[in-house]
Amino acid sequence: MRNIVIRPRRHFRVPVEAERISPDVFAPLSIEEIRSLEVWEGNRRAALSELFDISGDDGPGRGDETQISLSGDFSRVKRVGEKMTCGRIAVAGDVGMHAGNGMAAGEILVDGNAGDWLGREMRGGRIKVLGDAGDYVGAGYRGESCGMRGGEILIDGNAGDYLGEHLCGGAITVLGDAGDFPGIANRGGTIVIGGDAHLPGAEMASGTITVGGRARVLPSYQYLETVEIEGLRFKKFLGDLVEEGKGELYAASVEEGRG
Amino acid sequence: MIIEGGIVYDPINGVLGEEMDISIEDGRVVEKAGGGEVIDARGMLVMPGGVDAHAHIAGGKVNTGRIMRPEDGRRGTEPRTKLLRPSTGYTVPNCYAIGYRYARLGYTTAFEAATPILEARHTHEELEEIPIIDKGALTLFGNNWEVLECVRDGDLGKLAAFVAWGLRASRGYGVKVVNPGGGEAWGFGGNVKGIDDPVPSFDVTPREIIRYLMRANEALRLPHSVHLHTNNLGKPGNYETTLETLRAVEDIAATRDRQVLHVTHMQFSAYGGTGWRDFESRASDIADYFNKHNQFTMDMGQLIFGSATTMTADAPLEYGNARLLKAKWSNHDIELEESSGVVPLVYGRKNPINAIQWAIGLELALLTEDPWQMIMTTDHPNGGPFVNYPEVVALLMSRRKREEEMATLHDLASKRTSLPSIEREMDWNDVAIVTRAGPARILGLQEKGHLGVGADGDVSIYEINPEKVDPSRDHEVVKAALARAKYTIKAGEVVARDGEVVAVPQGRTYWVDASVPEADAARVRADLVEKFAKYYSIQLSNYMVQDAYVTRPRVVRAGVI
Repeated sequence: MRNIVIRPRRHFRVPVEAERISPDVFAPLSIEEIRSLEVWEGNRRAALSELFDISGDDGPGRGDETQISLSGDFSRVKRVGEKMTCGRIAVAGDVGMHAGNGMAAGEILVDGNAGDWLGREMRGGRIKVLGDAGDYVGAGYRGESCGMRGGEILIDGNAGDYLGEHLCGGAITVLGDAGDFPGIANRGGTIVIGGDAHLPGAEMASGTITVGGRARVLPSYQYLETVEIEGLRFKKFLGDLVEEGKGELYAASVEEGRG
Repeated sequence: MIIEGGIVYDPINGVLGEEMDISIEDGRVVEKAGGGEVIDARGMLVMPGGVDAHAHIAGGKVNTGRIMRPEDGRRGTEPRTKLLRPSTGYTVPNCYAIGYRYARLGYTTAFEAATPILEARHTHEELEEIPIIDKGALTLFGNNWEVLECVRDGDLGKLAAFVAWGLRASRGYGVKVVNPGGGEAWGFGGNVKGIDDPVPSFDVTPREIIRYLMRANEALRLPHSVHLHTNNLGKPGNYETTLETLRAVEDIAATRDRQVLHVTHMQFSAYGGTGWRDFESRASDIADYFNKHNQFTMDMGQLIFGSATTMTADAPLEYGNARLLKAKWSNHDIELEESSGVVPLVYGRKNPINAIQWAIGLELALLTEDPWQMIMTTDHPNGGPFVNYPEVVALLMSRRKREEEMATLHDLASKRTSLPSIEREMDWNDVAIVTRAGPARILGLQEKGHLGVGADGDVSIYEINPEKVDPSRDHEVVKAALARAKYTIKAGEVVARDGEVVAVPQGRTYWVDASVPEADAARVRADLVEKFAKYYSIQLSNYMVQDAYVTRPRVVRAGVI
């Protein structure tokens, strides 16, 4: 596999819009050509090589045999892997907002934390984060009626608020806790939260949310029965009834009190 | 400027595809120009600049659409250049994009179709920011309390005075009537179900509102007729309401050389059936009626597959849309004047209702024999964005294209409409009428829509030779040529070349200043002082659109004295 290594030359004080960092864009280019790709740093246009050290195997090569290794602090580098359809991006460190936005295939591995809007409107492929992820994982951006439609997002740590907002398909798994309103306004897809969740599935029309820890369940959810899944007991709910929703919510433990 | 040797279609002046030169000086067409730029248009189609008589391009509703649809804003973004400001949006473009995109299509004039007086300042703020094209706005009167009271009291003089005042207050161009009475009823959660259904609290009917406003419009000798969005619009079976409305005003005569009533986006008012299950086209009933009554005109409201944003002063209709589609929606109460709503939607080829609606627009245009009675619109962005006009023209010119399209649609488009049997294909003269000459004549714009001496120097030149290209067969060539004007000329200046904007002058804004007897005006003023004191959220002194909001006006005089 062709490996291209990118390291920040300095600390970024303003965000860098780096949607060009994608196997689809890099694959047909030589290292020299990759260096001259343009990105925006704030309101300033810059060559990729002004901001990053770029090394690795020279090209061109095939997209599905292209790996981009990001090494260092990419927490202010946005839109990495946007709309990618092949190849692999491996981040050793944190990655910024909108990583994997609209990706259709391929893989992103983050050995660190991911910013907000991870995998938003994703169509396919796989994203794995070993640390935590920010708000709006797999969500639809402002105004969209569908967030993620396909593919898979795995987060070993915790996720922020509005996990999988407007989810229409695909699967999101969070081993840790999720913040407020996971699965809000969902219209399909699957969300599994290993830890706790607060008010899951608000306005959910369809889809499935499973909470392995404690969940505060909205009063607009109807308790159906207690079921056993892989040896664990879950309370099963139907909702969100304010939207005449047919979503399924499973919670291992239900937090008492007002929603 | 001299445009040399183009093949000119100028229906108002009886020019049907003649090779001739057009001279422009000081922004106007002249007999012979003294010099200036020479444009070689040999072998190209030359027409007057396009005129859009009905589009939602500025004001509160449009901006609500933009706010509700950030996802639409992200579509169609084009970065700024040295000359151009950034463009955004597809169904609800930003102001700059509206001007640029019209210019690229060869359009030089467009009218905003619905402005409440209360929100007219916002409309003009946006019109001022739309570059290149000339524009104007129609003012909403059909649910205004003062109108309803004048109708109730049978006071035509006061009504005419109020219309004149409302046009001045809004710097508006004409009288728009949307679901008369229904918008007021909606303030109380209701609607009117037909033209004889009384409006709550006012004891007047839509029939009376329409008739009185038409009579006031004619008494004032306004350049445009009443511009009507019918009651029951968008509902199955509404063609009966539409025909009933027209029959109810057959006795009213126009006081100027134009139609007496323009019924807008007729596609939405030509439906048969008792519900969505037996929904069908009644376009042929409507077209038959128009073929026998040449005092009325209409526009298509053609549906375009894909994304649209419906926006109208017909708030109960939008509430219904939102419930039906489970879409996001906005509804708005405009104090004593109107209601309104915005709902985004997607028209699907395999959706039987949408497929039938698509066919109805085309049926209406093709079955109406006189093209002067039936002009082209998509009711932007209700039926679809105006950038799709080349697609509509190609459909009107090519039966083959219609058949190709119908093959991709739900089969009810063929079964519940007469479109498959319609052979008519428009020629370039018809196209010049339905996109330019007709809209200009219907709006009463004397200096638009033609290329006679004294006309505005607004010209569009397309890289297509009407003598060589067969539009029926080569419909794709037609569509491509119309989508990128070779030259768009606005007031004698090239504003677009090869489909790219090359100059950004500021256009003018039309409005109508109609004079009325002082006694009637005084009675209106007395009413208004009371209404503003009692009901409005703002002061009368802050209500009128000031001159500062219309920096390049083109005032058309009208009135009874």
